[in-house]
Amino acid sequence: MPKFKNDPILVLILSICTCGLYLIYWNMKMAEVMNAVVGKQVISAPIAIFAGCCYPVNAYFYYLVGNDCLPKLSERVGEEPKDNATLYLILGFLIPMVAAMMAQGEVNKLYQQDNSQDNKSDNN
Amino acid sequence: MNSGKNNKFGIAGAFIVLAVPFIIMLLNPDGDLHTKQSLCSLKLMTGLPCPGCGITKSIIALYEGNIYKSLAYHLFGPAVLLYCLMTIFYSILGHIRKKEYLAHYLYSMRTGYVIASTLGVYHFFRLINFFSIHSFDQILQQSIWQ
Repeated sequence: MPKFKNDPILVLILSICTCGLYLIYWNMKMAEVMNAVVGKQVISAPIAIFAGCCYPVNAYFYYLVGNDCLPKLSERVGEEPKDNATLYLILGFLIPMVAAMMAQGEVNKLYQQDNSQDNKSDNN
Repeated sequence: MNSGKNNKFGIAGAFIVLAVPFIIMLLNPDGDLHTKQSLCSLKLMTGLPCPGCGITKSIIALYEGNIYKSLAYHLFGPAVLLYCLMTIFYSILGHIRKKEYLAHYLYSMRTGYVIASTLGVYHFFRLINFFSIHSFDQILQQSIWQ
């Protein structure tokens, strides 16, 4: 599983401060993590790049994140899967930085769970 | 994602990227697109261009047959056009012949990182140029805070 843990606020700040450059990098890393979570290629590299610079594509990218990937991630961390695809689609189209921030918050749960599992095994 | 789904989404995505500039060109016969407010959320918020700002105008300039204007709007406009045409051509060919053509390059993460890095370097220099030729007021005028 590729590790990509960031502070969600940092994602928002870096996206704005780098004028969207960081968002392209973030999209690529997120595509890697999401593909690993789902276990197949859901988000391809061109979608990740074009999502960082072309308008209708970013809505589709976040739709894939909200519809195909995050429910699987919720299952993996033991939470009830939520259908936030429409929210991600709208936010991804209008304010992709905020959608990225929200998705990062969800992805961070994956590593928190991994950390707690590591701590438990260390204690045992 | 299986190759059939890849093909369909590849064709659809490439078609949209090529069709949107064509529709905008038809809706703006006066050619005054550069004076219109950009719909990019980053440009709306900050007045600064995002890495993709100008690609649509660049493709429109290509449709109008003006390669220099196209490159001035965005260096990668012609590359995006070529990439989309290649994706459509090879995806249709692959669908007809039931064989994958260039899928390894078109959809690979390694190609993605190379393109993203090149775009990043270009955008960095474009931002330096943008700051050098625009004043604070001019940047603000391109945002919603004008």
